[in-house]
Amino acid sequence: MAAGQSTRRRAIILLVLTSIILITLDLQNSSAISGLRSVFGVVFRPIESTTRVITRPASNIWNGIVNYNNVLDDNDRLREKIAQQEGATIAAAASVRLSQELLALNGLPTLAGINAVTAQVIGDSPSNFSQTIEINQGSESGIRVGMPVLNAAGLVGKITKVSTDRSVVMLITDPDFALSIKVVNAPRQATTTTIARSNAAVPSPVVPVEPDANSDSATVASTTTTTTTTTIAGFTPSVTTLPAAPSGVSSITVPLASDLAVRETGVIEGRGPTRQPTVRFISNALRFGDIQTGVPIVTAGGSRSLSPPDILVGTVSRVVERVGSAGPVLEIELVADLSNLSFLRVLLYQPITEKVAP
Amino acid sequence: MSSRWSRLVLVMLFVIALQTTLFADLRPFGVAAQLVLLFVIASGVNHGVAIGAMTGLIAGLMYDFVLPTPVGLVSLVLGLAGATAGLLIYFFRQPTLWMKVVAIAVCSVLGEIYYPLAQAVVGIDGWLQLRLIKVVIVVAICNVIFSPIAILLSRWTLADRKLTV
Repeated sequence: MAAGQSTRRRAIILLVLTSIILITLDLQNSSAISGLRSVFGVVFRPIESTTRVITRPASNIWNGIVNYNNVLDDNDRLREKIAQQEGATIAAAASVRLSQELLALNGLPTLAGINAVTAQVIGDSPSNFSQTIEINQGSESGIRVGMPVLNAAGLVGKITKVSTDRSVVMLITDPDFALSIKVVNAPRQATTTTIARSNAAVPSPVVPVEPDANSDSATVASTTTTTTTTTIAGFTPSVTTLPAAPSGVSSITVPLASDLAVRETGVIEGRGPTRQPTVRFISNALRFGDIQTGVPIVTAGGSRSLSPPDILVGTVSRVVERVGSAGPVLEIELVADLSNLSFLRVLLYQPITEKVAP
Repeated sequence: MSSRWSRLVLVMLFVIALQTTLFADLRPFGVAAQLVLLFVIASGVNHGVAIGAMTGLIAGLMYDFVLPTPVGLVSLVLGLAGATAGLLIYFFRQPTLWMKVVAIAVCSVLGEIYYPLAQAVVGIDGWLQLRLIKVVIVVAICNVIFSPIAILLSRWTLADRKLTV
């Protein structure tokens, strides 16, 4: 009896020490731990898949009971939303195409040039203390740790663990999530300047256009063509090149430097499932001006960022001013609904600093 | 001795599979019931401090490999939870089922508090929030509901059957 107790005590001490050593190794990103995870995954995945198939009806019954009314409400709301957005989508698609063409012409990176893998969400986090989901694509599809994950609305999270045919996505709301972003603040004024050229060699004088305070749109008229540019709060007014008139006259709408949307970079950090993520380290510079609620937050990109630039993340829902020179903290309302994810897109993007030379 | 621990490993594979599939989907009030924690606490309540701690350490180590947190963290947390469960019952000569159920509820609350505390110790901050109150209440209620099954399962799994020839 005493010998049995002594053996158990030794076993407990051994297991505790093993756990501490494993924690230390894992925090150092040891490859041995990744190998152990993979080995366990090989044994565990078939059991998990079988259990998933067997328990699916029980999950469906539960979801049917608990979420039925929500699904009906969502259906009604979404039908209404689709009707509202059908027209806007066509205009938006044209703008996006134009924007991508302009970026490509200037040799700037666009999201259209990045390959993506579509994946299905196959599981939530089993723990109450991590905001992760599992998707059904892995390293076989070219997915690597750190790649950004999107849904139709915008950024959802990033890949944190990859196995052969599965990956774990850390959601933006996880307190461990951090990503550099840009806050696109709205310009203080809404004046535009029209440059009319009779031909390329002879520039015409600059003609200022009076700001239209009662309207959100600026209208540029020429003798041959009329173009209406809708200004979305917080976005840079698009530069539109009109087709050349028969006489060779073209017109370009150029916003003044002071009218351009001002961008500042910061870091978005998750704060758990019940609290909105925040953006910190926004310097309270004069050029930035007052941050308005509703301005968009997009990824910053850059050679060290894990995400390409200009993926929509969310909008500012609240500005919390701080005393001193620390700058405000922004609370962000995410565009993606993280509580209801089914199909996701993993951008096969790696920053230049992460790419392995062939 | 070896047969109960090899049986534990096999049973835990299915318990963890249930946790990552069915119980990750069924989230009353947005909280996932913690089946692995329940099994470990039931083991501690049934078999005492040492067996509870060992079950927690082994089950936690297996559970660690499917969680995104550092490997070894859940092992320590569940080991502590199993030992706590054994300690709560230690002072009663023949605990009744109801005493065991109450001990399971108390240890479920403690186990769910140990986890974010352990995360904070290794530098994973941000989980000690007011939401924790809701989480521990829901987990405790779920564990109380499933406790009779867990007690039976852990009793069967960890029964000390000597192999005779």
